[in-house]
Amino acid sequence: MSEDVVRDEQEVQRQNYSEKEKTEIFDNEFMPHVDSMYNFGYRLTFDEDDAKDLVQDTYLKAFRFINSFQRGTNAKAWLFRILKNSFINEFRKKSKQPSKVDYSEVEQYYNSDDAGENITTDLRIETVQHMIGDEISGALNAIPVDFRTVIILSDLEGFTYEEMSKILDIPIGTVRSRLHRARNMLKEKLAVYAKEMGYNKES
Amino acid sequence: MSDFTDWFKDTFKVCYCEQGNLVDKDRFSEIVQLVLDNEADEESMAIFQKKISSCVKSNFTFENEKCMRDEIQKKLATHRKEIPNDLAQAIRKSVNL
Repeated sequence: MSEDVVRDEQEVQRQNYSEKEKTEIFDNEFMPHVDSMYNFGYRLTFDEDDAKDLVQDTYLKAFRFINSFQRGTNAKAWLFRILKNSFINEFRKKSKQPSKVDYSEVEQYYNSDDAGENITTDLRIETVQHMIGDEISGALNAIPVDFRTVIILSDLEGFTYEEMSKILDIPIGTVRSRLHRARNMLKEKLAVYAKEMGYNKES
Repeated sequence: MSDFTDWFKDTFKVCYCEQGNLVDKDRFSEIVQLVLDNEADEESMAIFQKKISSCVKSNFTFENEKCMRDEIQKKLATHRKEIPNDLAQAIRKSVNL
């Protein structure tokens, strides 16, 4: 499945790299992103071995379809797109994980007219300042994967809306709205957590 | 003209009442997001800057969102997983490099 995506992306500009060029591209344009790829994989799967498998699989596909990659273009976005598709099309099935929250249902809810009225994030900056990375990371991990993904891509990996639109295969307007919903969801999780931990009490 | 020029104008309008007071904080936070993500075009940015320099509530909302975003990003960025030592080698091996 993801092979099709890789092929479709730049079929019209198919390259014919020599073995030496392939190695150069792989080493200089693909390999520098291993760290980001692994962290993305881990935040999707929550499992070190699964993240490792996902990253290896992504690089294997990237190498197999290297002629579909145009040198000097955005290798990181290209790799993220392959990894995301591998996760959706293969990993979720293979892992036989219990079914996750149905994204369409969640987005439908959050896109409904009255959704905004339910978003009351009583979260103060001082509260977030008290939190450690672990706690914020835990809140991020608790939101549905499709919403978590846009926060990771934007806030951790620095992708633009246009790049995210290509990685996720969704219109750019959906990137904007999904990101907004995702950030509100994260704030809600943090607010609930802060309340449970008593972070909101005046000192 | 960016992808969000029209969206910005339409959304900006509904954020304020006739007197120019901020009445829809949630919609305004969508605009703030666009600005903080550097996705607003120059014209939209100029409109935004003009407003936050004259409207205390808008300015407060913007600064609050900005600080919150910075804090969350900073803490998430420090919370990264170390990649396994053998991963890069395993990748090279799998593609015969």
